[in-house]
Amino acid sequence: MQPEAAVLLVGAAGSLVFAVVFGPARQPGILLLRGGVGLVAMALIAVAPDLDTALLVVLALAVLQGAIELNRGLAVRLRAPVFAISLVALALVLDRASGPAVLHRFAAVGIAAGLAAIVGLLPFMHEFDPAEAVSASPIGWMAFAGPIVAAVLVLDSRRLFTPDTDAVFAAILIGLGLLNALWGSVSAWVTEDGTAAWRYAFMSDWGLVLCGFGLTVADGQSAALLMLLSIVVCRLPLYLMSRPALREKTTTDRPVNLVVAAVLSGSAPFVGFAARVLLFRGATELFWPLGLVLAVSMLLWLPGSLRLGRTLGQPRGRQLVGIAIVLAVNTALGLYPLPVLSLAGT
Amino acid sequence: MPSSALLLPIALPLVAAGVIAALGAAGLEVGRLVSAGAAWAAVASILALWLPVRSTQELILGQMGFGSGFDLRLDAVGFAFGLMVSVPAAVVLTLQKRSWQEAALATLALGASMAAVEAGGVVLTAIAGGAAATAVVLVLDTEDPRARRPSWAMLLAGWLALAWAGTILQVRGGTAVYSAVPVSSITWQVASLLAVAALLASGLLPWRSWPSQVWSRPSLRAAGIALATLYPLGFYILVRLYDMGDGRYPLPAFDGVLSVLGLAVALVAALRAQGATTRREFFGEVVPVFGGYALMSLALGTPLGLSAALVALATTAALAAAVALLPDRASIASLAVVAAAVGIPPSLAFGSRVLGIEATFEAGDFLGLIGLGGTLVWVLMMVAGARAAGLPAGRGRPVAETSPAVALGIAVATLVAGPALALFQASFANPAAAEVMPSAGSLGGSLQSVATVSTVLPAVALFVPLLIIGSAAYLASGSSSQRAEARPPVLAPVAPRALAGWREAVAAARVPEQYRTILNLRELEAAASGGRPVLWLAALVALAFAVTR
Amino acid sequence: MIEGAAAFVAWLGASLVVLSDGRRGLSAGVAVAAVGLAGVAFEVSGPIAAASLLAGGLCAAALRWRSGPPGWKVMPPGSTGWLILCIASAIFGLWIAAAVMTGQGGGLRFAALVTVVMMGARILSARGGAAGLSAAATVALAIALAGALSPQAPGFEIYLAGAAVAVLITFVASEKTDAA
Repeated sequence: MQPEAAVLLVGAAGSLVFAVVFGPARQPGILLLRGGVGLVAMALIAVAPDLDTALLVVLALAVLQGAIELNRGLAVRLRAPVFAISLVALALVLDRASGPAVLHRFAAVGIAAGLAAIVGLLPFMHEFDPAEAVSASPIGWMAFAGPIVAAVLVLDSRRLFTPDTDAVFAAILIGLGLLNALWGSVSAWVTEDGTAAWRYAFMSDWGLVLCGFGLTVADGQSAALLMLLSIVVCRLPLYLMSRPALREKTTTDRPVNLVVAAVLSGSAPFVGFAARVLLFRGATELFWPLGLVLAVSMLLWLPGSLRLGRTLGQPRGRQLVGIAIVLAVNTALGLYPLPVLSLAGT
Repeated sequence: MPSSALLLPIALPLVAAGVIAALGAAGLEVGRLVSAGAAWAAVASILALWLPVRSTQELILGQMGFGSGFDLRLDAVGFAFGLMVSVPAAVVLTLQKRSWQEAALATLALGASMAAVEAGGVVLTAIAGGAAATAVVLVLDTEDPRARRPSWAMLLAGWLALAWAGTILQVRGGTAVYSAVPVSSITWQVASLLAVAALLASGLLPWRSWPSQVWSRPSLRAAGIALATLYPLGFYILVRLYDMGDGRYPLPAFDGVLSVLGLAVALVAALRAQGATTRREFFGEVVPVFGGYALMSLALGTPLGLSAALVALATTAALAAAVALLPDRASIASLAVVAAAVGIPPSLAFGSRVLGIEATFEAGDFLGLIGLGGTLVWVLMMVAGARAAGLPAGRGRPVAETSPAVALGIAVATLVAGPALALFQASFANPAAAEVMPSAGSLGGSLQSVATVSTVLPAVALFVPLLIIGSAAYLASGSSSQRAEARPPVLAPVAPRALAGWREAVAAARVPEQYRTILNLRELEAAASGGRPVLWLAALVALAFAVTR
Repeated sequence: MIEGAAAFVAWLGASLVVLSDGRRGLSAGVAVAAVGLAGVAFEVSGPIAAASLLAGGLCAAALRWRSGPPGWKVMPPGSTGWLILCIASAIFGLWIAAAVMTGQGGGLRFAALVTVVMMGARILSARGGAAGLSAAATVALAIALAGALSPQAPGFEIYLAGAAVAVLITFVASEKTDAA
């Protein structure tokens, strides 16, 4: 198992336990069951000996998830993940065969696009129903399974690529990353529906993840890992906490909401800021104007985060304790990410 | 003392914040006691660390994981700024009652700010300063979510810019540690980024920014904390820029631009001050005026200018605490604070401004014109102060959060401390200037006079008689409280009205009814988020085409 | 020769999946595709690999035979475009696999390529769950086969995994596809 995937798996497991213990789930048993199956699948993906096996597990997971709820029709629910897997499979065929260099470039396109399609990023966004259960919605891909799939896909496929293909792959990732970072952060601010705003916020974080993966230096990989961790252990638990208030369409403006907004916006001393520092390092090493674009886009996180913070409602009791735990974990990761990064081998 | 003691000024407030939060959540209100205790303990630890040794101490604890090590450093600069941050914070935390949530956040802000000042490198300063900014925004919002607070985006932009500059130094120069950055890494681009970060962090802008706006809040508890913990940090960055640049900024034009900007900040604040409609509004401009003067002097690139700026900043810190404790009513305390703020001789403000203006003349070339501008600003502030004596007090604030006696004490202290200017400069400002400017050895004088390049300012000999004369004049006037009447402003504020008009015109601008846009963002969003295969295929084709180029 | 023929059969099966909407047509398509893919696997990786793919594909086909929209519904109205897609995929796939790509294993490349592409297209157009699941099951078999293209010759495990996933896919959601 790759160390990055192992770290993300532990994070995902932690988030699941957190969701069951502190979350407002109406049926925690079912959440635990679905999440547990997902965790098993993710573990299989992480330990898969090759990308083909990993793809097969992703395919199985996609069908299982698609079968949970049928409010959108099974065919529609399967569309994006199966299309994504087909893309990646096609890319692997193109990359493995001998032939002109352009085939390998198409392979890079296939893997990058497939990754975006599996997770549900622009321009391959999944259809979305805000009323769906989290385990059945595209946010499950974005926040729970997607990080491990991304880590495995990117890191394993990089081993197959030639330097030219890798450069193309990196460029596509950065392009998609910037697109998602900008679109997601602005949309999280202006979209009307609160649940959709959370989805866009996930998308904007993924934008930074893709940029980090695209920066082919150690700092970029570290940044991507930290952002993935922040999605799994920060944004996902907070989203789960906000579900009751989102259903009731209530917003609250108390200090705890502002603290949560600070966490979501990537302010110091939380993990998002550390990831941004690493992104700056990577961008400076490779292409400094990218740092300027990143800096500007990072400012766009703030209005959306303020909005999302208000959607948390007024947490009490167990949920307040849960939020405190999320804040503590994020602060620890933000101030001292070295142990986690060392464990992940970056 | 072991080098690990450098953690004390940071750890004490942070631990205290945790204790306050834990006990507060359990129903025990110990905020004031614990926060004040921690703040004064931080002050004491800074003094205990520095005074016996008076040389640089470092603590290196290893890498943190984002290219920066946990390096702490206490030198003369850190000592000076540490006191500027911790002392006013300690004063307001001691004298003002606040909820446990506010106390915890305020103490957190103090701890983060101390970390920013003690940090040994740019990136760590950025993280700590960013954390302080976050904490300040939280404490302001906790106190009153509807009142004005600093633009979070602006603060975040400043600290992000600093983080970026730090990473550039790490990548290009190999390190972002203040004492080890190669001078050649401080290009004008990096210096510009650092300067922008500093200006945004402290709100040093030639229009009404947060250091002025926070004073219009109904309560001034959080405003005092914000000014104490956040305002000095921008100046700290500019002083460290000298440190990294071997005592100078990369281009002479830098000095001129920043000095002019400082003058502009002070001038615009002085214009607002003289047009204030209440005394609270006047006090709201005191910090920006002082800050502008400090920036003007600091950016000159001379040891005297830097030294004068540090004295001005120390005075600013003291007056920020005084204003935060002042009640909104006519009193001897408010009169004293007004006098201290306008720089009546022989106050510390007076002395620092004299030195600052002197430094502009000694800097040479057109920088002397900046000094003339500084004189004009001083005159405006005098006028504003005279007006302020007769203005209505303001909207009123809770009496429980005021302490007129302490405010009076602070103001009087800055007024009578003028004769000790040379002593203050020699013990507080000059060591810091010498730390970052090798040429600061030229700063001479004794404990009674300040020696500049071209002259000597006999502080004791000149200021003591002024103090005696001033005191006699005040006593002879027989006025123990203000009984003046409000006078109209000398200069009517045209620009704000014009700006307001422009803003209204822009806000009222509408696209003509007949116009139909081809770009409908809602439809674009619906198309992108609708899961449409056509879009997916089109994107794939576009990507495939792009990689064949 | 056998490899080529098997690849052609795989394409035939994939085309049947693309052009059918009824459970019998889909089932037949999956079965024929499995036979073709198994044939290629036999040539490339040996009998165990072929048996795995064949068994998995036939199981999936059997499950599909019992659940989904009734009847065959092969080439329903409006499927001309999809027919053209199938033919174009064959021609284009053949060109790429045989002319653009080089080296041994043209049949393998062709089979993997066209199956994956056509099933990807099928999932985009599917309006019912049965069609989507059939496409997914066929993709699983194709992914397993595509593993043979890897420089490190895969063991039989990948074929077993592909077969298992194909069966699992069709089994898990089979009761939900009757009306869809």
